[in-house]
Order: sequence, then structure tokens, then C-alpha cells
Amino acid sequence: MDPTHQQFEQTVEQAQANAGLAGSLPLDEKPIDVTIIIPTQAYFLSGIRDFVVNLTKNLTGFSAQWAFRFQAVVDELCNNAIEHGSAVGGHIKVTLISTKNKSLEVWVEDTGTGKEKLTAEQLSTLYQERRQLMATQYLGFRGRGLPKIVGEWTDEVIFENIPTGGIKVKVKKYLRKEEDTVLSSPQKDSTHIVLQ
Amino acid sequence: MTPVQITIEDISGAPAGKVVKLVRIVGQLDESNVDEQAKSIYQVIEANPKGLSLVFDVTGLEYMNSKSIGYMTDWYSKISANGGKVVLAAPRENILDILQVVGLTQLVNTYPSIDEAKAAVLQ
Repeated sequence: MDPTHQQFEQTVEQAQANAGLAGSLPLDEKPIDVTIIIPTQAYFLSGIRDFVVNLTKNLTGFSAQWAFRFQAVVDELCNNAIEHGSAVGGHIKVTLISTKNKSLEVWVEDTGTGKEKLTAEQLSTLYQERRQLMATQYLGFRGRGLPKIVGEWTDEVIFENIPTGGIKVKVKKYLRKEEDTVLSSPQKDSTHIVLQ
Repeated sequence: MTPVQITIEDISGAPAGKVVKLVRIVGQLDESNVDEQAKSIYQVIEANPKGLSLVFDVTGLEYMNSKSIGYMTDWYSKISANGGKVVLAAPRENILDILQVVGLTQLVNTYPSIDEAKAAVLQ
């Protein structure tokens, strides 16, 4: 195991312990606040996805369906940070904050060292433009992650410049049981989700 | 690289002039592997410029990110432009959910089983 991977494994273990996911730790109603720092490599994101699903399912009050949705939200935010915000050899920081049965918040921070880095204002403008365009037309191959997956599955999206460089993207979802949906068996048409 | 396996095989019974293939995806499609894995699908499309249809067996697909959805949209565009079909068989709920939110289910039909998906393409 290379040193970077070993460091990541230790970080996840520590994060799980802090979040009360480690086996023998008692779970309580205290707010969760977990930060994970990973190298700027997509390789590490499968571990982050697993962690997000488990934390959301077990500790936040959100349904399994929302756990998988947050998995995708965090993955897309991290991909953007790795692709645009932090140079190879750097890192990104992922923070999960939850008050049980109320909300789940995710912050993803990059270092601003990436070749294609954007300011918070530029990213916010891009996000708003894509949200509007995607509502009315097909935009081609790329660009669904932020406007559709992040935008549709969160209640708040905030872009902030970090004083030391980089961007912090903060998203928040409030728990509303009535938003849980039942997915029917796939059919020939596009009406797959039945709202209860 | 996140583990994923894509296998491609012929489906028999296609009408004359048509080529129907089953693409089985097992694992997770994400930023670490999707560019490499997508090549095998493009090779099939290039080798069968006319009359190709693809049935994606996604029973074992655990995760797909927005880029992999983008690839699937591109495959759909290329194949449907040449008279073929692209369908998905037996997606898990989280896969169906993400396809729904990005709107891909408005383009690509999905079926509860592989047999139903095959039948839809072969008819």
C-alpha cells in the first residue's frame, strides 16, 4: 500500500470513529461533523461514496434513497473539485454536517491550484446558466453533474471563495419525509417515479 | 481505479441487416474508470455503423456518475441516428433514480428484465 493510500485509509477510519460509525461506539443524537481530506485523485472517491451512503443511512434520518442521492451529489462535487480546483498532488476537503432528522450539509473545498480553476462567482454564474438551459434544452455530452444531480437533490447551493485560495461549495438538504419517492419497476415510458 | 467489468456478446435472433449486442456492466462507473471503459462501446459502434442496437444489462451496475451518463447519451445519439435502439435492462433503484433526474429515461427506454429488453429490441 503506498503512503498516500495508507494516509487516506487512516483518515477514513478516524472519520468513521468521529461520526460514531465504528462498531462499538454508541450512537447519539449529537450533530455529526466529519471532515475527510483526500488526495486529488479520482481513485479515492469510491471510498468517499461508501462512507457517505453509510453515514446518511445510519445517522442522519434520511432514507436509503436519499443516501444514494447524496452519494452522487458528493461524488459530483468532488469530481469538479479534482477536475478544476486542485492540482494533481494536492488535496480536496470534504465535510459532512448533519443534525439528525433535520438536515444534511456537505462542503467540498479545493485549493485553487488547478489549471482550470474558477472563482466562486464564475462557478455560480455557470451553475445558474446551466440550470436554466437544462430546463429547456439538451446540452450535450457533459455538464449534468452540477446543475441536475447537485441542483435537483439539494435545497441550497452556495459557492464561496476561500481566502487562502480555492472554492468552497456548500450544499444543504432539509429532511422532508414527503419527498421520499417510490421507484416503480422500470417501464417503457419515462414516468418511473411515483410521488406518494 | 474503481472495479468495473464490461462484457459484450451477440444476441441471436436479430432481423436481417441488424446487429444486436448485449452489454453487461458490473461494478461502478466513475471518474477513475469511465473514459477507459467507454472505449469498448465506441469500438462496437464503429465496427457496426448501420443497424446496431445495444441492450445494456445493468443488473450489476452499482453506481454511475454524470460523465458515464454523458457517454450513454452519446452512444444513444450515434446508434439511434443509424436506425438502432439502445435500451437498459433491470437497473437498480439508485441507477434508475439518477437516470431519471438527468432526464435520460426520456431518451432511453428501460425494462424490468433482460428478456423484456431483448424482446423490445428484437421485435
